[in-house]
Amino acid sequence: MPLFDSLYRYARSLAGNRAEAEDLVQETFLKGLRGFGSFTPGTNFRAWMFRILRNTFLTSRSGLRAVPLEDEPELEDKFTPETHFFQRANRESLQRAIEGLPVAFREVLTLCDVENLSYKEIAETLSIPIGTVTSRLIRARQKLRVALGAS
Amino acid sequence: MNHLSPEDVERFADGEITDPAIEQHLIDCAQCSSSVLQVVQMKRAIYDTMRDEKPSDALRERVTRKPLPAWWIAVAAALVLVALTPFLTRMRTQPALPELVDMHVTLLASANPVDVISTDRHTVKPWFEGRLPFTVPIPELGATPFRLIGGRVVYWRANPAAYLLVGKSAHRISVFVFRDDQAPRDLRDGPSGVSTLVWRSGGLTFVAIGQVPRDDLEQLSRAFGT
Repeated sequence: MPLFDSLYRYARSLAGNRAEAEDLVQETFLKGLRGFGSFTPGTNFRAWMFRILRNTFLTSRSGLRAVPLEDEPELEDKFTPETHFFQRANRESLQRAIEGLPVAFREVLTLCDVENLSYKEIAETLSIPIGTVTSRLIRARQKLRVALGAS
Repeated sequence: MNHLSPEDVERFADGEITDPAIEQHLIDCAQCSSSVLQVVQMKRAIYDTMRDEKPSDALRERVTRKPLPAWWIAVAAALVLVALTPFLTRMRTQPALPELVDMHVTLLASANPVDVISTDRHTVKPWFEGRLPFTVPIPELGATPFRLIGGRVVYWRANPAAYLLVGKSAHRISVFVFRDDQAPRDLRDGPSGVSTLVWRSGGLTFVAIGQVPRDDLEQLSRAFGT
């Protein structure tokens, strides 16, 4: 069940721990199956399920704490790939850096780099404009570069 | 063209840009292509790191064990039906020959295997009229080693069929005559210890059964004018 794994990975990037992520996935499946009638055939089923999971998370206790996701202050430091050449950092430090990211950044990385969703699909999932997806992805990667450069 | 903006570097690495001019520029410009490569490497590393997150088997079980909603049950039922269809079809079309062989044996063992006893086809043929929804062809057996003994009406799945009893020296042969649309569907031959022969002619299905060589049944079938 590849969707099952994908949902779990997304849940894991939103929720702080394994147990919470598993609860999220379970609830998402139930909601998805129950609300299947409201799914419009031909639209992206994966994005639809991701959105259910995200909404479920946002109304959960830790989700409410994680909000607001949207109002991160603009990054001060200039985007300069050369100054933060991305080293193939060892796995653990990269994992730590990803875990250290605010949820809003971690989730776009998961959807884009792990689940391979297009910007459009991510925009659908998060109910935000594509431009916001782009800038959030850029800032998420920038934060990782900084974190890895600093470690 | 100009160098890629930092934003375009990311968008290109994410597969969001398919512009031949940019692709050409990346071929020409080491600086920009190196920037794209860095993002691609980073994406790859993020993928490698996060791909390993796997849900536990316990969660799988929890999710699949939950009571399922109605639509899911409908889907499951449809799937089961599809899976079972060949089986159900086979049930409906169980091989009929063994059953007919049983009927043959039972009729021969009975005190009155036939209701109309006649060696004369001109007696037997009219007897069936009004008793069956079709005309039963009665063969002329005068020039053959066979003799007509008689006939009766039998039932197959609530539909009437003709039963003819034919003798050949000490042996007796049963001939069932069905209308095609009421005939048993599956008349595949199976091991039964007796000879059987199925043939169709004029909208009718004939099944001959007897403890005689199969050649005899074929000879008999020819006598029916087929």
